[in-house]
Amino acid sequence: MKINIDYIARVEGEASVKFDIKDGKLRNLKLNIWEPPRFFEGFLVGRKFDEVPDIVSRICGICPVSHMTTSINAIEKAIGFVPSSEINNIRNIMELSQIAASHIVHIYSLALPDYHKLDMLKGLDTEIKRLIRLKEAVNAVTALFGGRALHPVSMVAGGFTKVPSRDDTGRLIGGLEAVKKDALDTVKMVSELVYPDLEGDVEYAALADECGYALNDGVITTTSGLKAGVDSYHTIFAEKEVPYAKAKKTVMKGKKPLMVGALARLNIKAAMLHPEAASAAEINGFSLQSKNPFHNIIAQAIEIVHCIAECIDLLERLSLKDYFIKVSMREGSGAAMTEAPRGLLYHEYRISRRGIIEAANLVTPTAYNFLGIEENLKKLINKNIDKPVDELSLLCEMLVRAYDPCFSCSVH
Amino acid sequence: MYKPKLGFFKFSCCAGCEFQFIFFQKHVPETLAAFDFVYARMLRRGGSPEGPFDIALVEGTITESWQVDELKMIREKSRQLFAIGTCAVNGGIPAIKSNLTELDAQKSVYRNISNIHSIRPHAIDAYVKVDGYIRGCPPGDRDLNEALSAVIAGRRPDFIEYSVCVECKLKGNICLLVAYDMPCMGPVTNAGCGALCPSMDRACYSCFGPVKQSNGPALARKFRLMGLSKDDIYRKFTQFGADSIEFRRAIEAYED
Repeated sequence: MKINIDYIARVEGEASVKFDIKDGKLRNLKLNIWEPPRFFEGFLVGRKFDEVPDIVSRICGICPVSHMTTSINAIEKAIGFVPSSEINNIRNIMELSQIAASHIVHIYSLALPDYHKLDMLKGLDTEIKRLIRLKEAVNAVTALFGGRALHPVSMVAGGFTKVPSRDDTGRLIGGLEAVKKDALDTVKMVSELVYPDLEGDVEYAALADECGYALNDGVITTTSGLKAGVDSYHTIFAEKEVPYAKAKKTVMKGKKPLMVGALARLNIKAAMLHPEAASAAEINGFSLQSKNPFHNIIAQAIEIVHCIAECIDLLERLSLKDYFIKVSMREGSGAAMTEAPRGLLYHEYRISRRGIIEAANLVTPTAYNFLGIEENLKKLINKNIDKPVDELSLLCEMLVRAYDPCFSCSVH
Repeated sequence: MYKPKLGFFKFSCCAGCEFQFIFFQKHVPETLAAFDFVYARMLRRGGSPEGPFDIALVEGTITESWQVDELKMIREKSRQLFAIGTCAVNGGIPAIKSNLTELDAQKSVYRNISNIHSIRPHAIDAYVKVDGYIRGCPPGDRDLNEALSAVIAGRRPDFIEYSVCVECKLKGNICLLVAYDMPCMGPVTNAGCGALCPSMDRACYSCFGPVKQSNGPALARKFRLMGLSKDDIYRKFTQFGADSIEFRRAIEAYED
C-alpha cells in the first residue's frame, strides 16, 4: 500500500511524505521537499557585503532577524570588526523577540488545531485573542528597533542605523509585562494537551555559553558531549544531496541524526533559562529533558516565557549609546552560527578587498533536522502501523509540524 | 452573509506575505470571519486548490515550469487575482539570478543538477492577467487592507501609486539624497512603507519595487555623479526590480 501525504499543511513551505506499507512493514519513507530551489548561495556571489543582510532576510518570512544577524556576524568576522556590547545587546533583543513571535505563531496557528481535531485555528476564540495579544507585544519590540517586524531595515554591518528613545523602550517594557500572564497561560495550555507517545533516538545540538542562554554566539554542543567552536564547522558537519528533495541533508559526521530547535536547546542549556521560565516549566510538571519530539511545542512555550523575561531585563539595561560604528573594508572570510527559532543557523562568506561576496554557504535549521524527521517518522509509523490510513497520515503530519520546519529556508 | 471564497497560493518566495496576511494584521478575527478560506496551506489543512475563488492572492516568483501551469489554472478558477508582495509583482529577490544562465545558477548550488529544473524567474503577470498589485516586501498594511475591503465591498481597489519621496515629504524627513549624498532609491520606488528606511536614517533600497513610469536612468546618472561605480549602480537597480521594465531601462547602460 502506497501512502502519499501530498502536502503538509500549516508549515512554512512545501513538502510531502511518501512511504509504502507492505506485509505490515514500512518501506521507502521519504520526506520529499519539493519547494523549488531558490539559489541564494548562487546569486549572492557578486553582490556587495552591505546588501547581504537585506537579501538573506528574504530567505524566510518568519525568521528574517536570524538570517540578518547571522550574516552580519559572519561578515563582521570576515572584515575583522568587533561590535560594541550595546550592539550585541540590541541584537539579542531582536533575536529574543523574533523567537517568541515565531513560537507563538507555531504553537497557536500551526500546531494547536491538530490537538482540537480542527483544520484551522478558526473557532478557538480565547486562543486567538491570546495569540494576538502576545504577538502584538513581541512584534512591537522587533518593530521598534528594526523599523518593522517582518524584514527589519535598521540592522546593518556595524550596528543599527537608528535606535529608539528611552520613552519608547519604557513603553515596550510595559507591553511585555502585560502579556507575561498570557505567556504562562500558554505553557499551561500546551502542557495539558495529550501528545502521541514517541521516544526519539536523536542527538540534540545547540549553541551553549557559560554566561547565559546563548543565541547569537557560543560553542556547538551536543548531548553526547561534543563541544566545538564554529570555526571547526566543516570537520563536524557534512552536507549530502538527495535525489528526492531540493534541500540538502546536513549530518554530524559519525553521530546519530540531529535535532535542533527549542527542545534541543532546553535539553542542552535548561540551566541557563531565566528563573521565570524555569519555574513555569516546574509548575506545569514538564521535565526539561524530554526525548519526545512532540514536546517541542512545550519547549517553545517555555522559551516564550524566557524570551519575554530576558527581553525586559535587557531593555532595562540598555544605554542606547554606541549603537553604530562605521566598518572599514578588507579582504577575508568569516562564518557565524546563531540560534534561529527553529535551531542552528550557519552562514559563511568570503569577501574580496572591494567588499564583493566571492563565496557564500548557508545551512538552515531544517537541513539539520531533515534526517532526524525521517528517522522519527519511521519510528512513529512502525509504532502505529495498524492504525487506519487517515489517522496514520495525520500523526505523520503532526510529527513534521512539531519540528516547526521551514522548507522555504531549507531550499534557500 | 456573503463570504468571498479566498485562495492563497505560494510560488517561490519566503512565505512572508502569507504570514503577514494571516498573522501580522491586527484584524485576525475579522479576516477569519469575513472570508471563506477555501485554500490557504499555511492556515488550514485540507481545502481544495480547484476553487472556484472570488479572490485569489498569489505570492512568489515563477521559477519552475509546473508553476506556470498551476498559475494558469488558478487564473481560470478565480474571479479576481491579486499579486501580493514584490516577488509576485516584479520578480523581487528571486529575480536577482536573471543575470546568470540557469545552468550556472544550478551549478553554483548543487553538484548533481539532474533533478533541478529551474527556469528564468518572472513576475506572475508575465504569464496571466493580474487584477491588482499589493506591493511591498513585506506587503504594506494599507494596500493589503484596501485589497481585502474592496473585495468585500465589491468595488475596485485603489492602490498607492506614487514614489517614496511623497511619503518622506509628508513625514517631514530631510532628503537623504540631496542633503547627505546617500544613494537613496526613494524617487523611483513605489510608496506604501511610510518612508520607512529614510525615517530610520538609511537610504531606501527599493523593496516595494519600481513606481510606474519612473525615470530610472536619471537617478542612475545622479548616482554616477555622486561617485558610485557602474557595478554599484547595477546592483542597486537589480536587488528588487531585476525583472521590471522601469529598472531594466536604468541598468542597460551599466550591464557588462
